[in-house]
Amino acid sequence: MESANRDIKREINEKLHDQVLRGALGRFAEAYPTARAKAYENVEDVEALREQFRQLKIDTVNNIEAVADEFEASVTKRGGKVFRAKDGDAVKQYLIDLCKKANVKRIVKSKSMASEEIHLNHALEEAGLHVKETDLGEWIISLAGHKPSHMVMPAIHLNKEQIAEYFSKELQQEIPTDIPFMVQAARKALRTEFLQADMGISGANFGIAENGAIGLVTNEGNARLVTTLPRVHVVIIGYEKLIPKIQDAAPILRMLPRNATGQRMTSYMTMTTGQTPVMVKQDGKWVEQPKELHVILIDNGRLKAAKDPKFKEIYNCVRCASCLNVCPVYTIVGGHVYGHIYAGGIGAILTAFLHSMGDFEKINELCIGCRKCVSICPGKMNIPGLIEELRAQSVKENGLPFGVKAVFENVLANRKVFHTLLRLAAIGQKPFQSGKVIRHLPLFLAGLAKDRSLPAVADVPFRDRVHKINRKISNPKKRVAFFSGCNIDFIFPETGESVYKVLHDLNMEVVFPEDQSCCGKPVLGMGDRETAKRIAKKNIEAFEQTNADIYLAACPTCTETWHETYVELLHDEPEWKVRVEKIAHKFREFSQFVSEEYAKAGRLNKVAGGTKVTYHDSCHMKRGLNIYEEPRQLLEAAKGYDFVEMKDCDKCCGMAGAFGVKYAELSMPILKQKIQNIKDSGADVIAVGCPACMMQIQGGLDKQLPNVKIKHVAEILAENI
Amino acid sequence: MKKVCDNWQAAFPAGKVSPEFWAAFEENAKNAGAEIFKVKTAAEAKDIVANLAKFTNAKKVVAVDSALQASANINEELKELGITVYNDATDIAEHAESADIGISTVEFAIGESGSLCMDGYAFESRLVTMLPPIHIAFVNSNAVVAGINEAFEIISKVYDNGYVSFITGPSRTADIERVLTIGVHGPSRLVIIAVDEAINGGVN
Repeated sequence: MESANRDIKREINEKLHDQVLRGALGRFAEAYPTARAKAYENVEDVEALREQFRQLKIDTVNNIEAVADEFEASVTKRGGKVFRAKDGDAVKQYLIDLCKKANVKRIVKSKSMASEEIHLNHALEEAGLHVKETDLGEWIISLAGHKPSHMVMPAIHLNKEQIAEYFSKELQQEIPTDIPFMVQAARKALRTEFLQADMGISGANFGIAENGAIGLVTNEGNARLVTTLPRVHVVIIGYEKLIPKIQDAAPILRMLPRNATGQRMTSYMTMTTGQTPVMVKQDGKWVEQPKELHVILIDNGRLKAAKDPKFKEIYNCVRCASCLNVCPVYTIVGGHVYGHIYAGGIGAILTAFLHSMGDFEKINELCIGCRKCVSICPGKMNIPGLIEELRAQSVKENGLPFGVKAVFENVLANRKVFHTLLRLAAIGQKPFQSGKVIRHLPLFLAGLAKDRSLPAVADVPFRDRVHKINRKISNPKKRVAFFSGCNIDFIFPETGESVYKVLHDLNMEVVFPEDQSCCGKPVLGMGDRETAKRIAKKNIEAFEQTNADIYLAACPTCTETWHETYVELLHDEPEWKVRVEKIAHKFREFSQFVSEEYAKAGRLNKVAGGTKVTYHDSCHMKRGLNIYEEPRQLLEAAKGYDFVEMKDCDKCCGMAGAFGVKYAELSMPILKQKIQNIKDSGADVIAVGCPACMMQIQGGLDKQLPNVKIKHVAEILAENI
Repeated sequence: MKKVCDNWQAAFPAGKVSPEFWAAFEENAKNAGAEIFKVKTAAEAKDIVANLAKFTNAKKVVAVDSALQASANINEELKELGITVYNDATDIAEHAESADIGISTVEFAIGESGSLCMDGYAFESRLVTMLPPIHIAFVNSNAVVAGINEAFEIISKVYDNGYVSFITGPSRTADIERVLTIGVHGPSRLVIIAVDEAINGGVN
């Protein structure tokens, strides 16, 4: 079921102008990190806890069939029935048959994403059953006829005025926009539903193989009523929720509430197994009987994922939705743009597996790869990595769009053509250029770069400046081969000059292999692994001829590409694997390398100066390379500068490779927040370690904060030489 | 009344259940919105229940009996105040929905999260905690574990069949405009009465 003809760009624009949504999401995104951090204050070692849970889930998915068998046996032994459903249709048929057999007319549901995933309510209603969602947020969106826009807060996109209207209509009385009153009105209406229901349908936050228990966390208490009051209980649980032992629930319960809502525990945590007693009124008398229990284990793509060496990682997801709460894109557009039930980066992945690849393709570009989610995910899922992998699979199966394919294969994979075009761009852009920025980047980016300033392509690229700035070093300490990357080569050649100055000052010889080209990350970001491989091999050939002691880049993305991506790309080509590993082991990021050398030379003493400088952590630098202390040490020791921190220093600037250009309308609000934080810090200079961030932030400063200068860390160091 | 386990205390791991975790429990439970009274004796607990019933003008109470409650003579005290107390399973099933207060006793408390661990095997033991707007929970103040890990160490020893749950503060929602609102489907007040004295083999 693929939603055809979606116009994502139009939908995004609508959401950007939806003040209710922007307000609620903005406030939430603002408050969330502090609330989460506070909730974890009494957990001694959060990293160890995440690792313990990750390992538990890996071990479980590797044995998923055995764990599922044990779970089934445990439920069956205690009087429950287990039905293994291969897809949504199977679940619906089973339930409709069951309702007939057990004479069920009225159903209450507590939140179950798995049932949303298969659009269960609709099918049950069509079969003539009375079905009510009881989670307040789910009830609201069911009245509104909406899909959930967040896994934990499904109605976050609506305001109280809108909700009061839905309530008034449903309850057939005027409901004022007073939130406590509205909640009480919902309590009353739904209490009647609970008391009259024949069947309760719940999801499960976990299912324990050891004794067949399922666990549910809620704040409202609706899951307790759904599992207690009606005479029949149906659990719909995905395979990924299974854990082997009772004690394995502990790490989930220690992280799920803290990550989801910043609570140390939700109001209620309920575990139930077997045929618990239930009392029903028969002929005016209360009679106790064993509750009829059905557990539906739903596959719907999950077992296929379990067998995939990479995508089995989706079993690590506890559905806390914390990845959405920190996602720079989600917090601007909300969940509905993602189209299907599961939103955000994790939603893109789940959509591919549980829905269709076609739907994935429409939304996958909304992940900007900043990895903020990876740093807080309880299961340490590499969401951006999996999305990149899915893109690659999609490109392998369907190919790239024609224009992009032509550019990648004919331009980016051929250094000479690429560089010639960039040189032509330097001339061609002149009519559009004002100062150092241009309104439209010409050539293949044209049309994608509306409404924003982009830095101009430099008149003389770095590669043509090398011979002028290079110095002969007698008795050099080290021989360094410099990989400039496209941005330093063609946009910020001055940064490259500063790198040379700093390295020369450290008595190091620097070489620039002429045949180097783009690192290939943009190509890979679009899923084109084949072109990326060709680029990687050309760069490896260029660098292995240098006979250098150290290979170095002043760009975290290029550094990471050399460290990890090339090695991974070429892992099944033994000869190339050896060749790339030799270089990768000695490949260094500029600020980290220089801070080590400065430390050895006693040049890292803190100084106070007049110019205030703050630092922006690039996503790839902090979360990719784990480098964030070193650039600060360098800035604190830089003469003439006074280092200050700014708010959200490690939040993405919105550039994220091609994203910033292609989704300018989304990138802009992210950038605007960054510029505001720079302004609030009072800094005169914003220092960065990443040329791509430099490009993005410079564009924002140019328009909103022209008095603040942006400098690469290398430039600040070079000033003091 | 049937339970998941008739003797939870026997499953308490040595050295891991202690009043030293009380302070953490109290802080976290209060942060979750629970009201806490810590008393030395069951007799003092009785006064607190009686006062609460008077202040809230309660007419109907549903209570599942426990050693702790019985020793405090709470039901009798409430009846003297003119309050109807139901403590039989069928009566609870009939009246829990319209009762003003539900009273139960939990097995132990958890410092890390401010939670109470409840054995809810019996249908009526759940109703008293779910349906009335006020839930009064008795706990022995010495029966506190440090964290969720320790809680599961105990649970994993006794839990084979039935229903076990944590209660942490009152029922709450933030589903409308993220405004925290108390008392959705469950009680709007959770009153925890912690009693120091050990009753009927309680932990010391």
